[in-house]
Amino acid sequence: MVYLDSAATTMQKPRCVAQAAARAMQTMASPGRGSHRPADLAATTVFACREEAARLFGLTDPEQVVFTCNATHALNIAIKSLVAPGDAVVISGYEHNAVTRPLHAMGRVDIRVADGPLFQPRKILERFEKLVTSDVACVICTHMSNVFGYILPMDEIAELCACRGVPLIVDASQSAGCVPVDAGKWRAAFVAMPGHKGLYGPQGTGLLLCSAPAKPLMEGGTGSASALQTMPDYLPDRLEAGTHNIPGIAGLLEGIRFVSRRGAEQIGYHETTLSRRMAEELSKIPGVRVYEQDLGDRCRGGVLSFCVDGKDCEEFGQQLGKMGFAVRSGLHCAPLAHGTVGTLDTGTIRASISAFNTADEVARFVRAVALASK
Amino acid sequence: MVNYLILCRSLTYAQRSARALERAGLMAHIMRCPKGISTEGCSHCVKIKNNALERAVDILVRAGLKPKHVFGNDGAGGYEEVGVVGLS
Repeated sequence: MVYLDSAATTMQKPRCVAQAAARAMQTMASPGRGSHRPADLAATTVFACREEAARLFGLTDPEQVVFTCNATHALNIAIKSLVAPGDAVVISGYEHNAVTRPLHAMGRVDIRVADGPLFQPRKILERFEKLVTSDVACVICTHMSNVFGYILPMDEIAELCACRGVPLIVDASQSAGCVPVDAGKWRAAFVAMPGHKGLYGPQGTGLLLCSAPAKPLMEGGTGSASALQTMPDYLPDRLEAGTHNIPGIAGLLEGIRFVSRRGAEQIGYHETTLSRRMAEELSKIPGVRVYEQDLGDRCRGGVLSFCVDGKDCEEFGQQLGKMGFAVRSGLHCAPLAHGTVGTLDTGTIRASISAFNTADEVARFVRAVALASK
Repeated sequence: MVNYLILCRSLTYAQRSARALERAGLMAHIMRCPKGISTEGCSHCVKIKNNALERAVDILVRAGLKPKHVFGNDGAGGYEEVGVVGLS
């Protein structure tokens, strides 16, 4: 199978990821919960992962790195820490349901959408400039659209938020590991990301990088201040109730080390190069509409969406699956992004690249699409 | 005193403290706090040698990891909080 669904989960991982996860299951217990070697090993691994993540994402303090189950979990903590019913928030027009559903569930939140056409960073920036005012509780913005690969102008959005004193939550679900993510430079209140996508960790892992006071999403044991019936007021314990996913974190550590060794920019360059080639070739096929940027703008990562005239995107994706190509079709849990671009009714077919894909795989995929679209 | 225990608010804080001390060439061992000196229940501390206390505190203060409580271990199961220059 040619795997082109890395925007959902990178299935191909460095071998050391699975080895570390298996070793953790065999040798590690709960960190901080005992005075024995298995507990010590777990504690050392968890701390190493915090340190490695802090280094990769521009933080000086590993205590700011909080482990979560996934990016959705991390975003829920961030959003519920900063937003309350009655507040106004600004979000981009490319947000995932992981952002919009918690806001809707909260009720009475005035959601102001900074939309703008695909691959035109200046236009969306103008919308943010208009909407980010002092009465806004926070800005929530994806770094890279999970549907179209559009990389939003985060440096400028972050600068805008900092200048206007509005806290920023960055959803780095698609960018972490393949575009430089610098939480320190952005002065973001929170940066949320999964461990199982561009960081090549196992499913069930995620990170929340915290630079603002946070509210726990759940309460429970932390292995610290156990005599008290309130959650500790310090990180990471405040947000990490219950036993950690030690096999997941051990694997994630190896995944982050892999990204650090190769460099996020280098990985991103590889993904974007292959993705551009794919876009170029797909757009030559009659009836195939590719959502690609103009050559002048370089703001798309390794995620590519396309439609085929006269074909249902889900059926087309299933057909590709039978032919041995893994893609994802539909709305990708991001109806807002599809609404912004005008593909809400049709959905799209999404092919997403990882560090492990090759030019040969892209060529085979393009031939398969040509065949299936006839 | 046989050694000293630097109390830390969390395991991660203890790990950061131990890392700072080891980088500066001091031996530091993370352990769970003896029940008798942990006022809030489970907590962690960093154990250092008896002749390393002042240097350790200096390193931690410089690293932004100022300890709040330090206990001396008399070697017979007794612990006594000690005042350290540089800590208020």
